[in-house]
Amino acid sequence: MFIFGPLFIFFQQIFILITNPINILILFGAVLLGIIFGAMPGLTATLGIALLATLTYGMDIGTSMVALLAMYVGAIYGGSYGSILINIPGTAAAAATALDGYPLACQGKAGKALGLTTTASAIGTFIGMLFLITITPFISAFALKFTSFEFFLLAFFGIIISGTLGSTDLAYKGWIAGFLGLFLASVGRDQLQFYPRFTFGLDELDGGLEVVPVLIGAFGIPQIIQVLKDKVTCGEAKRFQRILPEFTEIIHHFPLIIRSALIGVGIGAIPGIGEDIAAWTAYAAAKNSSKHPERFGKGEIAGVISAETANNACIGGAIIPLLSLGIPGSPPAAMLLGALMLHGIQPGPMLNFDHPLFIFQCGAILLLASFAMWITGMLLCKQVIKVLRIPTPVFMPIVAVLCVIGSYSLGLEIFNLYLMVPVGILAYFLTEMEYPIAPLVIGVILGPMADANLRRALMVSKGSFLPIITRPVSLILVLVIILTVVNQTKWYKNLIRRISEKLFSKKKTKEISSNTFKK
Amino acid sequence: MKKRELRRADFITSVLLLAFSAWILIETFKMPAKDTYGGVQNVWYVSPALFPLIISIFIIILGTVLLVHSIQSDGASYFFSSILKRTKFASEKNIRFLSILLALFSFIYLNIPRIDFFISTALFLIFFISAFYFDEINLLKKLTLFYFIGSLIFIILFAFGISKILNSYYKYFIDILALVFYISYVIYNWIKVKNNHIYKKRLIVSLMASLAVPLILCPIFRYSFLIPLPKEGLIIQMMHNIYYFLKRVI
Repeated sequence: MFIFGPLFIFFQQIFILITNPINILILFGAVLLGIIFGAMPGLTATLGIALLATLTYGMDIGTSMVALLAMYVGAIYGGSYGSILINIPGTAAAAATALDGYPLACQGKAGKALGLTTTASAIGTFIGMLFLITITPFISAFALKFTSFEFFLLAFFGIIISGTLGSTDLAYKGWIAGFLGLFLASVGRDQLQFYPRFTFGLDELDGGLEVVPVLIGAFGIPQIIQVLKDKVTCGEAKRFQRILPEFTEIIHHFPLIIRSALIGVGIGAIPGIGEDIAAWTAYAAAKNSSKHPERFGKGEIAGVISAETANNACIGGAIIPLLSLGIPGSPPAAMLLGALMLHGIQPGPMLNFDHPLFIFQCGAILLLASFAMWITGMLLCKQVIKVLRIPTPVFMPIVAVLCVIGSYSLGLEIFNLYLMVPVGILAYFLTEMEYPIAPLVIGVILGPMADANLRRALMVSKGSFLPIITRPVSLILVLVIILTVVNQTKWYKNLIRRISEKLFSKKKTKEISSNTFKK
Repeated sequence: MKKRELRRADFITSVLLLAFSAWILIETFKMPAKDTYGGVQNVWYVSPALFPLIISIFIIILGTVLLVHSIQSDGASYFFSSILKRTKFASEKNIRFLSILLALFSFIYLNIPRIDFFISTALFLIFFISAFYFDEINLLKKLTLFYFIGSLIFIILFAFGISKILNSYYKYFIDILALVFYISYVIYNWIKVKNNHIYKKRLIVSLMASLAVPLILCPIFRYSFLIPLPKEGLIIQMMHNIYYFLKRVI
């Protein structure tokens, strides 16, 4: 009975979705749009969701979730087209796919590679969905025990962890980006006393910064500038006859698929860590465990399968903390959070009470999106790759217009556009200096939650910070945050190195002495 | 960015971050901490200053760490030595960057609030697409300069209130001027590329895209999503007339 109830609800949601022809139409349309967005170098899944969020604003939440999740699934999968056919990943998530996908295409196996990525991506999405619907309710139930202190720390944890793992240079650059995001979130009248903070006397800033224009600016403008400034162009796409599902190869690599999917879900569930890291980690794991690691990078099928399964499985993983805790697991999930907030839905522990069917609805949409993606990929692949022929200097300005009209149409405020550009330019410079953008965005989204919960918690404790260490969950979060921060310091690294050296040298002396004894 | 340049950028950023966090701190101390605001007696832990205070403290700490790291990794010394050297600013990448900024700033801050949305979008697209699609730095420079001069004229018209005087004669006068600017840009472009077959083709593509995009987007947003466009002038008004005429007829 424990399982049958939720299962019944899940299948009921699928039935509701598939019996509505408009939903099916939107599902396939959004998947196709997602694949196009993913395939085009310079356009990302996050930007696609951001632009679509502005268009789905007028729809009911169910229909808009169909469009947004289908776009997410399609875009992550679509990135593999560019990787395989022109050696330019359409999205960062598909960068690992290019390592073996392009050599396969050069060997005349582009159809095979695309077939494998299509099926592997569909399976990855499916496994991610399974974790989403099974784990999220438990985390939500657990999170109900959280008080204001925990929510404040959770926001901090999200910034610190995504900053640490998302940084390509120094970890604290990610933290700086996160705190800048928190500062942006504190602009406007504060939630408890309505005191205007950093508004410069502008009425438009009283309500705070609109999340979606800020996100469009942070993800769209840097992309446009980078592509046009650095002359990103598409090469000649490799030709292929037809794409094949390649079921025998898939069955042969099934353990690899399961392992990559688990890596994808696990990494997706960590706040702010995107599909790209999931794909790289799964690729590295596949290479390390392979009997022929030397084949990787030269057209190894396992490389393509592992990366593509993981990046799509990451979608389900990224939605788990989003729905259960209100913390996005990846940049596109951050955009989804923005879209949910637009529709008046506040993800978090109370979601199960406010909208009891929502998690199952998302699961059902993901399942259908994975089917739609597979079908669209198999049938329309040859047509979709024609978009790779559109020159980047032509489509990036059009994307800029879409960003502008999308940001404007949300609140019919030209001020949103005035805001979008400086945020975009700031994000561009930060990206150039290797600051990750995900923590900044998470800071903007979680800032109000962190601010209100900190003050609320201190009100309850009458100004005492003691509950942070007396409450078990708070204590764990504080310890994790401290450990993550300390882990980046030189003396800690030296300490670990010295300890490990001592341990190993002891082991070695023991081994040597035991060997001499034996002799 | 190369490692050395990155460390130099880190040095500059850390100084900016410290200055920025100092500003947050100053602003924070102006906020009510213990006194009353809006009839509410404050205590420090409910004060609106608490959260920005924490943020500024963290930014100061992290900015200092970044500053120390950049100094230790020769970022500061590289910065000071590069000030003394004359570096080439007019590199191709910088020119491309400035052209992008010109396109974005003129579109958002100058044209959208004041010129018919259709015309401002077409103007933005024809410049942005053609300038980069030709992929030739000299042409990019010339086109950027032409577009910059045109935008400057519009800034003068708006800044000195001349646009209002002109619009008092005919309410779409500025829109017509923007159309004239669009056409003159296309003609200038044509003169520059008329001897090159490939460039001529690219100009046609740019022209078509610049007109097709607003032609598709404006009716969709205006009549399907019922979103009033930022500025509805000459062309959008014409679009209204056609739309309502067709609606009446059909």
